[in-house]
Amino acid sequence: MAIHSVYTLSKDDPEARNWLSFVRRHGYPRLANVVIERVFWLEGEIKLESLMPLLVNSLHQTASPRSQLDPSLGPIVEIAYRPAVTDPETPSILAGARALGENGLEFARLSRRYQFSGLNDAEARRIAARFIYNHVVERIREPGEAVTTLHPKGRPDPVGTITLLGLKDEELVALSQARSWYAPLSQMRAIQAHEQVQGRPHTDAEVEILAQSWSDHCYHTTWKSLGLLKRLSEATARINHPLVVSSFKDNAGGMEFEDGWVVTIKGETHNFPSSIAPFGGIATKHGGVIRDTLGFGKGGYPIGGTTIMGTMDPHLPEEETPAGALHPQLIVSESIRATAYYTNPMGIPMMHPIYRCHPGYAKCFALGHSLGLIPKKYALKDSPRPGDVALLIGGATGRDGIHGATASSTGMTGETLEKESAAVQIGHPITERRFTSAIPVLRDQELIRTITDLGAGGISCAAGEMGAETGVRMNLDAVPLKDQSLSAWEILLSESQERMLVAVAPEKLAEVESILDRYEVAHSVLGHFTDTQRLEGFWRGQKVVDLEMSFLWEGCPIDPTTVAKPERRLTPVAIPEPRTAADWSGAVRRVLTHYHCADQRAAGSRFDSTVQGRTAVGPYGGKNHDMPTNIYVSAPLRGKLAGVMTTVAFNPFYGDVSPGAMARLMMIEAITKAVVAGADYHQMVLCDNFYTPRVRPDTAWDLREMVETISDLSVELGTPFISGKDSSSGTFEAGGRKIDVPQTLVVAAVGRIADVHDVVTKEFKRPGNRLVLVGRVDADALGGSVYADTFGQRGDRLFDVYDAASIRAQWDALLKLHAAGGYVAGSAIAEGGVFLRLFEAALGSGFGARIQLDAFPPGRRDGCLFGEFVGSVLIEVPSDTNLQERLAGIPFRLIGEVVAEPGLALIDQGKVVWEMQVEELAESWRQTFREVVE
Amino acid sequence: MSQATTSILYAPGTNCHEETAAAIESAGGKAELVLLRDLIDGRVRLNTFQAMVVPGGFAFGDHLGAGRIFATMLVARLRDQLVEFLEAQKPVLGICNGFQVLTEAGILPGRSPGKRAMALLENQSGHFEDRKVRLLVSPEKCVWTENLAGETLSMPTAHAEGRPMFCEADSSRAVFHYSDEHGKPTLEYPHNPNGAPGGVAGVCDETGLVLGLMPHPERAALPAHYSQDGLKLFKNLVKWLNQ
Repeated sequence: MAIHSVYTLSKDDPEARNWLSFVRRHGYPRLANVVIERVFWLEGEIKLESLMPLLVNSLHQTASPRSQLDPSLGPIVEIAYRPAVTDPETPSILAGARALGENGLEFARLSRRYQFSGLNDAEARRIAARFIYNHVVERIREPGEAVTTLHPKGRPDPVGTITLLGLKDEELVALSQARSWYAPLSQMRAIQAHEQVQGRPHTDAEVEILAQSWSDHCYHTTWKSLGLLKRLSEATARINHPLVVSSFKDNAGGMEFEDGWVVTIKGETHNFPSSIAPFGGIATKHGGVIRDTLGFGKGGYPIGGTTIMGTMDPHLPEEETPAGALHPQLIVSESIRATAYYTNPMGIPMMHPIYRCHPGYAKCFALGHSLGLIPKKYALKDSPRPGDVALLIGGATGRDGIHGATASSTGMTGETLEKESAAVQIGHPITERRFTSAIPVLRDQELIRTITDLGAGGISCAAGEMGAETGVRMNLDAVPLKDQSLSAWEILLSESQERMLVAVAPEKLAEVESILDRYEVAHSVLGHFTDTQRLEGFWRGQKVVDLEMSFLWEGCPIDPTTVAKPERRLTPVAIPEPRTAADWSGAVRRVLTHYHCADQRAAGSRFDSTVQGRTAVGPYGGKNHDMPTNIYVSAPLRGKLAGVMTTVAFNPFYGDVSPGAMARLMMIEAITKAVVAGADYHQMVLCDNFYTPRVRPDTAWDLREMVETISDLSVELGTPFISGKDSSSGTFEAGGRKIDVPQTLVVAAVGRIADVHDVVTKEFKRPGNRLVLVGRVDADALGGSVYADTFGQRGDRLFDVYDAASIRAQWDALLKLHAAGGYVAGSAIAEGGVFLRLFEAALGSGFGARIQLDAFPPGRRDGCLFGEFVGSVLIEVPSDTNLQERLAGIPFRLIGEVVAEPGLALIDQGKVVWEMQVEELAESWRQTFREVVE
Repeated sequence: MSQATTSILYAPGTNCHEETAAAIESAGGKAELVLLRDLIDGRVRLNTFQAMVVPGGFAFGDHLGAGRIFATMLVARLRDQLVEFLEAQKPVLGICNGFQVLTEAGILPGRSPGKRAMALLENQSGHFEDRKVRLLVSPEKCVWTENLAGETLSMPTAHAEGRPMFCEADSSRAVFHYSDEHGKPTLEYPHNPNGAPGGVAGVCDETGLVLGLMPHPERAALPAHYSQDGLKLFKNLVKWLNQ
């Protein structure tokens, strides 16, 4: 069949300009220009001219049957999808052509030609390989390559068998590594014993399924071994909170909202793929956690998201990047691009974009949350019944993401970047968006028995879990493929994104299919649920899987974990106190320009924060919308004022000093941020996400301490965790060097509020009002602070003194004061201390503040301003509020007042020791992050 | 007679249709979500509606160009219905991706399906911009902005391709300009988030019936939103439909 090609160029191409500056910064300063040419490859009997309006807009694009690039201006690299892989745009081109009446178009593909002026051919290829294409699915198309057909082609490997009988322990371990199963010896022995009992060798598909189902990522072997899953869920059970609808058993946790609705929360990390291929890794981090909402109950709807990144310092000199790791600046900027690429088309408002750094994040931390909404009557799943249809919906299955579960459960080495690149998935938000619209329709017509997403472990895991009680029989020939060369085990394990599995009663199948057709969601009958309690799979006439569910889900041996108290070598903070105004200016700048405190809008403003029309308070507020609010408030039910508030606490420094105290502080910080804004902690639930180094006796000790701490504290506070996720694979090894991630726990809080208009935000409201610091102050406890970090110090003592009773009394007093309209602005103290709150509140209002340093208790003067008194809050109080009465028994102090002039001043014993205009401070504050991104 | 109904056209990838319907209903109007596929397959006809909105999102993933596939479907499969709708002097609004669809389809500015006369190019920054903007309303005659001339409206904007490119055949009239803190039209980033020449944020056709704008009035329309300025556009629609 005839193959036509159309080469198009844009007359005005900001994308090419962005690549130019990006590539220049990343080691190619000689790059003079980048031009991007797109090529459409079209196969079939067509009239090319009638397709032109679809392919180009002649107002700003030119088209030609031949390349419009002048080869003498520099090397050209053409990137195309591999022949076996379908382009994501192919269905759109075919649909557009059909609309135009060009039914003769049989297949279409795209490729992109990048011309790099000023570089040689080898450099151009290196740039393409490093930044532009993913070799799992794409390739460089060589000049002059003959094209006979565009249709995908490829041949799968036949089914193999694997026998472990007779293998010695060390052979089992070696095989497990070589095949990327990363299964420990105990699991390999269990599989070996199973082979003996069943009297036949396993197929390759069966061993692959067992290895991934038993991986730490899927089976939580570390947490089970330490009894931690039980510890946390038992604490929640003990609290027995009346608002909790679902906790720790579904794809997310659910809290009753109002009018028969439930809000859901889930946080998911995607650390491993994001470390080796940040664009694909981060895109699919979002896709995956959104599907957890869609797969909650009988199908939730996503109404908010977060992106939370921990990397090494993006200002790290290039040569200090650990061998085999990507430079943190590349990870951060690629992650920003990927978050925008995925969450904006999904139409999900960004609630909290947060970027932090720590030298331990050689293997980066990549977390995303999804907030969801679902009618209460659909919040609990039914079980599939024998005879129900297992319906696969969404995208086709490809080669991407194979071994994601096992590879992400292990540490990362210098070779991982090369060896496991296939484990990175490729995300296509349009595919997920299609079923995001269709699922609530199916749900509300009561057509869904149960639903779950395909994530780690792909089809085998989703079908295996859904059919764990009944059994399931799968016909793998029915699975639509985007890569024709996939063999049976690859079809079963592929972690291709944008797929869901739905159990449908057989009599409802036709109705389900017709709704999916209307919403243009692809679907196929994967198989049926049975009563055999077996996972069975057929492919090309062969039975490729036949495993009893009991072995799959209960046969995994749990190795005991040894625990030993770690030795921490900590030294007290040694920082000279500021004496002069110049010293104070220096100190203030250090804090404002620190990565954790600086303006992160260069990232945050690339993510839609108002889509869905539910946003009442977004991530940025104040008069010019440039002040971080640290809260997100949604009004989920349109036309109603009832709100859901979310907050997040993430501090990678505190864990270096004390993991247990860090865990406690993260809980208190997340809750306090919401309480000061007006959310009652009695109507609040929490979500935990852990990221810890690979399990050793000392790291296991820390992990256990953190989980025990938050379990106990949640009971004392009465605020339950309802969802969470753990990853114990945060160790990077290269060149004999081992880099552990810091003990990381992110706590997200979700609260209910009666009226979004009652939310108190941070910016100052009126000159003359008093500024009051409520809560305890310990100016000498600078351990783990941003301020200490700017001196390269961690210290030996965190601010951490609260017992649950006193923090509850403080929250209760604040909530009462809030209900009485007793304060008009408020913010919770966290990184950057009181000072950062003052600066941001001034920036957001156009006013300023005068602060009395002598109003603080004795101690370091810099510690008063930069100490991170987590749990304490800064509030702005009208002068007629009687605080003595309203805050009786709660520590508080009047520290200053709001003034009309937009400047900040520090006063000690009646003398101004330092002052500066807010705009001048803002200039420094804006610089740090912009340097990273632009 | 039943109340005049506004159709809100959506396709796979559209993601602002529900809040757009909510904003119209909040203004006292009646809105109905209409799947593009249902129009193409003949299950629904456009002439049963008195107004039409193409809402925001990433229809068909914005493959091949923002709004391109949606516009191709409209022009190639629904041209007669569109022409009939326009000739009946019914109001049309395109918001963000909907604005891109209207320009790709030639409905804006020339009311000529299939004849493109303006384009919306990638933002000058080269990436998506999520901002709160101020829009100065110009005195151009437009159903959607009647009695609003000279006002500055606050609403969110969120897009990656919103920089208007005008050409000689262009007959558009600028209705909205991005403005600075003092209410003056501006080129200054990020008050003008995309580098729009002259600060143009929205245009209408010569009849004043068809409006396209990049910012999102439906996200500044309900009591829970930070601003209710966007509601004014929908109130004007309802007023016009009730005349």
